[in-house]
Order: sequence, then structure tokens, then C-alpha cells
Amino acid sequence: MVVRLSRRPLSVASAEARLARSPGGASVVFAGRVRADLRHGSRVVALDYEVDLGPALRQLRRIERTARRRFRTVDLVLWHRLGRVAVGEVAVVAGASCAHRAEAFRAARYLIDELKATVPIWKEERGRPLRRPRRRPARRGGRTAG
Amino acid sequence: MVRAVRVRLFATARLAVGRATLDWPVAESGVSARELVAALGAAYPRLAPTLRVSRFLRNDRYLSDLTTRLRAGDEFAVHPPYGGG
Repeated sequence: MVVRLSRRPLSVASAEARLARSPGGASVVFAGRVRADLRHGSRVVALDYEVDLGPALRQLRRIERTARRRFRTVDLVLWHRLGRVAVGEVAVVAGASCAHRAEAFRAARYLIDELKATVPIWKEERGRPLRRPRRRPARRGGRTAG
Repeated sequence: MVRAVRVRLFATARLAVGRATLDWPVAESGVSARELVAALGAAYPRLAPTLRVSRFLRNDRYLSDLTTRLRAGDEFAVHPPYGGG
């Protein structure tokens, strides 16, 4: 499927395999994964992705049509996860197969940039508070030089 | 039967109101999108900052003009800035 919004894990290998079957000579696949960012004393452990499904699918197909026309893309994939996505998991895959590498890079860049800017998908961070380092008990009498 | 516009809220808009949908009663003549946005901001002050940066849809179509009239049975979606990827 060229465009996909899925609650199941995304396979980068499947995206690469699909593009490898196309007659284009160059393919580029971008995969975005969830990072373990630090935020206000907690570490991100997952992102919850939310979507307005109808407008999102329509916009993904519009991006697909534009990419095919503008970059003479032979084939492409534009996939996004929904629901809870853990750190390290793939949240988005944008890939393009074209006749030459320059178009393939430009097309993949266009796909991910347009998705982020124009597709109604939102993320909410889920974090885990950071552990404070344990304090060592104070030594009696202290340490002296000499 | 209540004649209402179904308001659909996403992301920060949903968090500001505390729910994903609202049924907003409207008169027979309907209400303009601009009037509805103003009324929502007045009813939910925490929503007002998000409304200022949001895009709006009527029945899944983006509104380019907030003079568009909404009538009972219409859906009105509030889209805060997108954050996919």
C-alpha cells in the first residue's frame, strides 16, 4: 500500500522491498524513530499518535500524487504509525523510487516534510520520571588530610 | 431533538476542553464558523490560545473562509498545528 496509517509496527524492510521491485534505478527510504528525549525531569518512553483519519488519508494521497508528478517518482511509500509507539520503534516511513538518485532524495525529503507540515497527525509524549541519584550517607567525623 | 453542530477536538484542543467532542446547539439559521470559534473560546478560556493557531474543517473539508455557515448536523473539527513524524 502506498499510503498507510497503521496501529501495527511498520517494517522498513517491507518498504525497501516494495521499492526494490519497482523499475526505478534509485531508491531512498527515510525512517523516523521515537527518541528517548529528556523533558522536565522525565524521560520519554513512548509517543501517543492521534489522527483525524479522513482528512489525513486524503492529504496523504494528495502528497502522493504531487510527488509522482513533480519528481517523476516510479513508486513510493508514505506510512505512519498511530496509537502508542515505544522509544526505538519506527513511527514514520517515507520512501521514493526514481530513475536517478537526485530525484529520489528530493522526493523522499518532500514526502516527509509535507507529511509533517500538512497531515493532521499529533503526538503526545509519555514519560517516566528520572530517578534522582541516591545521596551517600555522610561520614562521621569527616575526612582529614595528612 | 437537540439541533447541534458536532465539534471535534484534537490534541491540545482536546486537552484544553477535557473531551474529544462537543454538541454545540445552534439556531435554525445556523452559525458562522467565526461565531462558533469565538463562542468556543469564551466558553473554554484554556482553549482560546489553541484556537488562534488552529485550522478548521467543516465535514472533513478545510475552511478557507470563516464566514462559512454551519448548521445542525454539521461536523466542525479543530486542528491545532500538526505534529506527525
